[in-house]
Amino acid sequence: MSTALNEKPNAEMLPASSGAAILQDGHYLAPPEDKDGKLWVRTSALVQGSPEQLYDLWRATENAPLWQEQVEEVVITGINTSRWTMKDGDKTLTWNAEILADEPGKRVAWRSLDGDLHEAGEVVFEPAPGDRGTFVTLLMEFKSGKLASAWESLTGRNPKQGVIENLRHFKALAETGEIPNSQTAPHGDRGFVGKMKRSMYGENIPTPPGATAV
Amino acid sequence: MKAVCWMGTSKVETLTVPDPELVNPHDAIIKITRTAICGSDLHLFDGFIPTMEAGDIMGHEFMGIVEEVGKEVHNLKRGDRVVVPFTIACGSCLFCKKKIWSACDNTNPNAHLMEAAYGYSGSGLFGYSHMMGGYAGGQAQYARVPFANVGPLKLETDLPDEKVLFLSDIFPTGYMAAENAQIIPGDTVAVWGCGPVGQFAIASAFMLGAARVIAIDRLPERLAMARSIGAITVDYAEDDVKVLTALKDLTGGVGPDSCIDAVGLEGHSSQLQGVYDKLKTAVMLETDRPVVLRQAIQAVRKGGTLSIPGVYGGLLDKVPFGAAFGKGITMKMGQTNMHNYMKPLLERIEKNQIDPSYIISHRITLDKAPEMYKVWRDKKEDVTKIVIDPWQ
Repeated sequence: MSTALNEKPNAEMLPASSGAAILQDGHYLAPPEDKDGKLWVRTSALVQGSPEQLYDLWRATENAPLWQEQVEEVVITGINTSRWTMKDGDKTLTWNAEILADEPGKRVAWRSLDGDLHEAGEVVFEPAPGDRGTFVTLLMEFKSGKLASAWESLTGRNPKQGVIENLRHFKALAETGEIPNSQTAPHGDRGFVGKMKRSMYGENIPTPPGATAV
Repeated sequence: MKAVCWMGTSKVETLTVPDPELVNPHDAIIKITRTAICGSDLHLFDGFIPTMEAGDIMGHEFMGIVEEVGKEVHNLKRGDRVVVPFTIACGSCLFCKKKIWSACDNTNPNAHLMEAAYGYSGSGLFGYSHMMGGYAGGQAQYARVPFANVGPLKLETDLPDEKVLFLSDIFPTGYMAAENAQIIPGDTVAVWGCGPVGQFAIASAFMLGAARVIAIDRLPERLAMARSIGAITVDYAEDDVKVLTALKDLTGGVGPDSCIDAVGLEGHSSQLQGVYDKLKTAVMLETDRPVVLRQAIQAVRKGGTLSIPGVYGGLLDKVPFGAAFGKGITMKMGQTNMHNYMKPLLERIEKNQIDPSYIISHRITLDKAPEMYKVWRDKKEDVTKIVIDPWQ
């Protein structure tokens, strides 16, 4: 580094590389492009909490139904494996997943093994600059085609938006102990158009419960 | 329960709907004892805010008695009397920690809709479209209040509802507008719009040290009310009155130190630009009618401050940004950070520095609300503020 600027009282050290390939030697890298039959999504959230606390909440895999949309059940089947079920009405998706990397307080990486969904992902927990919480960065990959669009036809939501919403739910649950929900708001007759628009707003996808009891 | 429902542009109905229920652990159910119709409800009524849907319960100014609380609400109990802020805040995210409550990260379940339009989502609001959260509003007999551990102001006083109801929105909104105007003692402040928020901005400007306040409107009852608390009034609709000239005349040619736009996206103008904006919004080439914003940018003195409590929703045309830059003005705006103001303003009411009920002109029932929305929109019957008793 040059000596052109020598007064940076609060500047923090930059990591050589950062979570989910956002930063390399101080330079921002765009998220991977969708191609070769793969959909990519990268999203991040600034969450109030330590990397360790947030890692613990994420790593409690069996609690995923509390904050991941339409995940009905996660059964732990081994030290690093689990079976996932998503449900909407009488439609279900099931798949097995395994954890590929597990660095407590820092990072988890996983992939699906077999079943209705082909996906892989990584979540990274890094202290935000200025002691303002933790950056939680999520990078996920879906194999498109018949299997990846299974998610879309089940949820009515592009899997990319589903990942963004799930991270939003995770943040809300971590910060407040609940997930905001207005889907049960009382209302007068919506008529035909009003009912149609609910799906446009994503309000036909049940908000995950977050906390277990009111 | 009975509730006032939006049923399409220019159409509201009082309907029987299901009672609200607790959903989350920080919720409370409030039995509403007083609620009101806000100027910003007219933006919904007139169809200016997207993502309102038939059946949505309106209203974001309300107070009442706690009926039931979720298991994580420890500061309130059944029977407590509360005023509810119109913005919902979680109290735990970075923005709440910074006391920018109206930017709360965790209270808008439909944040993705706001993100698409604004880049980021602000907090959820009661009764103000699906984009702003899809929460049922308070022009009803009951409401579910999320994060009741953070928002509602518990009243330990026997002040009547009418004196404290406006702590739910318009008094703090007018006050924050005056605070955002960066008034120092001796300043002259101009306020466009003498509706409820404008009235409280005028009152607050005086409380914060303004030497003179100039109030601009066209409705005689509002101008009279502004004069009654000490403002100079300018009627922009009078023949030969030009607002910019008037403000120069009244400030020795300097211009007001601070300008407050308490009108927002549905501004009226008797001049040519009013017609221009009406046409452009009619054919969807712009969404807002920023006549006041344009005028205020031109009117404020060099280096002055423009504060904007009036709601803008979308795309504005022909905003004189060169004038803003050329004079080096400061602009401050946004939804009210309610939670900062409710307690200190309650203290001002308790000390009798102000009695906010002076703006009330109509007291009605829920059944009468649909017809009063039209009166409110058309500014008939000398209406200045409509308050609803939902149990009458």
